[in-house]
Amino acid sequence: MPELISPKQDEISYLKYKLDRLSSLIEVSIIINSTLDLDEVMILVMEKAQSVMGAEASSIFLINEQTGKLECEIALGEVGPVVKEKIELSIGEGIAGWCVQSTKPLIVPDAKSDSRFAKKMDEETGFKTRSILAVPLKVRNKIIGVAEVINPVRGREFTQDDLDLFSTFGRQVALAIENARLHKTSLEKQKIEQQLDAARIIQESFMPQTAPTSKDHRFEVAAKSIAATAIGGDFYDFAQFEEDTLGVFIGDVSGKGIPAALYMARLVSDFRFHTQLTREPEETIKAINNLLVERGRRGMFVTLQYTILNILTGLATIITGGHLPALCVRAATQKCEIINSEGGVPLGILPDAVFPSTEIQLQHGDYLIFFTDGITEAKNLQDKQYSLERVVTFLEKKWTSADEIVDALITSINDFASDARQHDDITLVVLKWC
Amino acid sequence: MLEVTTRNLENAVVVAIKGDVDLYSSPKVRKIIISLTKKKTKNVMVDLTQVAYMDSSGVATLVEGLQQVGKYQGSLKLFGLESAVREVFELSRLDKVFEIYQDEEQALGTLA
Repeated sequence: MPELISPKQDEISYLKYKLDRLSSLIEVSIIINSTLDLDEVMILVMEKAQSVMGAEASSIFLINEQTGKLECEIALGEVGPVVKEKIELSIGEGIAGWCVQSTKPLIVPDAKSDSRFAKKMDEETGFKTRSILAVPLKVRNKIIGVAEVINPVRGREFTQDDLDLFSTFGRQVALAIENARLHKTSLEKQKIEQQLDAARIIQESFMPQTAPTSKDHRFEVAAKSIAATAIGGDFYDFAQFEEDTLGVFIGDVSGKGIPAALYMARLVSDFRFHTQLTREPEETIKAINNLLVERGRRGMFVTLQYTILNILTGLATIITGGHLPALCVRAATQKCEIINSEGGVPLGILPDAVFPSTEIQLQHGDYLIFFTDGITEAKNLQDKQYSLERVVTFLEKKWTSADEIVDALITSINDFASDARQHDDITLVVLKWC
Repeated sequence: MLEVTTRNLENAVVVAIKGDVDLYSSPKVRKIIISLTKKKTKNVMVDLTQVAYMDSSGVATLVEGLQQVGKYQGSLKLFGLESAVREVFELSRLDKVFEIYQDEEQALGTLA
């Protein structure tokens, strides 16, 4: 352990002393780069600090972001375990609290006569604090805690030289803490991403794996759903009733992410269950609405559209609950009609809401297009929306298949949005009456 | 940054929202509205004059408020909807769910 030596006494001894101190800094740097285990780093560094500074004890207190209190992370010395278990300080309380509040390092030569010293430290631990050296732990100008060494041994006192060296230790420790925290956050993020990816695969399995087909090519169906985040709240599904009727179901759950995805998952199973009970679309939607109102949480709701197509006659019955209008592209004129209907409110809000239906007679070769607002509200970098008008104009041409429309419209939206982030789920279902 | 303030009137509390209401900011609105409905505030009036954008998470927050006041026969009225927000409500027929008024005076006029 180095003694306090003045340069005048012995220049060689002084240089040796300085060299020891510089070596200790190199050792600290090696410790910090050797492991990502934060506790291990803090213990090793404080052991080093204690030994170089010739101190009896040392500690690190870190600010708990939730409580705003200083909590003891590391306490070395004979009463270390007690300090770690019992001591918690407010910002401004005790020498450690003062150091954090003032953001300044300090030497306290005589703790007993210093009014800032928190007596509870000694009262609770039975330790006798004489002198303290405290430095704030700072990362990118933000104070994250404080490190202290306590009671220099053999009657010596903490010096300005000690303070300078310990401040350097403090900078290294703060950096190590920040690195370890970033590493932990990155691992947690990775874990969440893995879970979301698994959730996405499960969610995709809720959507129809294959589009329904008609034996004698009475209709064609194509669909695509692209979630804005890993998982989304848009969905579509089909119901095939014997040979003469096809049901198409599309919807958009309020919000995004996990809550919307879970809501959607349950809704799809409700839909499949109710379409087994009745072929009447009004009945199905009414029953689903009442279910959603009953188990409503946090105001969540869904806008949806349920269409029943009579495959033999081409008569489509559309029921809408707060959803955007469906479109119809006529084969004969290549005109795109917006099917405005009275419609009902979104589902899951009002008990016993009424959902009136609209009928549209298709001619052979006509297309029905169902979509969610992620299509019309897709934005480009100039914050302009793709818009319903653009969808209508884009669709007014001769198409050869439902698949072609889905691919072309999605490509057109991607081209329009260019590098802009997709901010909402996009879902598109195209039905052709052949 | 979204700001939500409340103002007590003789027979209603006005919740004034300033900023975009979306997935990230709507919890702030929810906190205020739910604190009012927990106290069974009879009439809640939401001032949307300074809201240029609201997504479905924001709407869900208002729906929840509406459902809560319904439990104790209270009311939740909206006023001052900007054109983009009004369009969201009209397109999804939510104008049939909520009582929507031009301004505070008109909304107040409907209170008995």
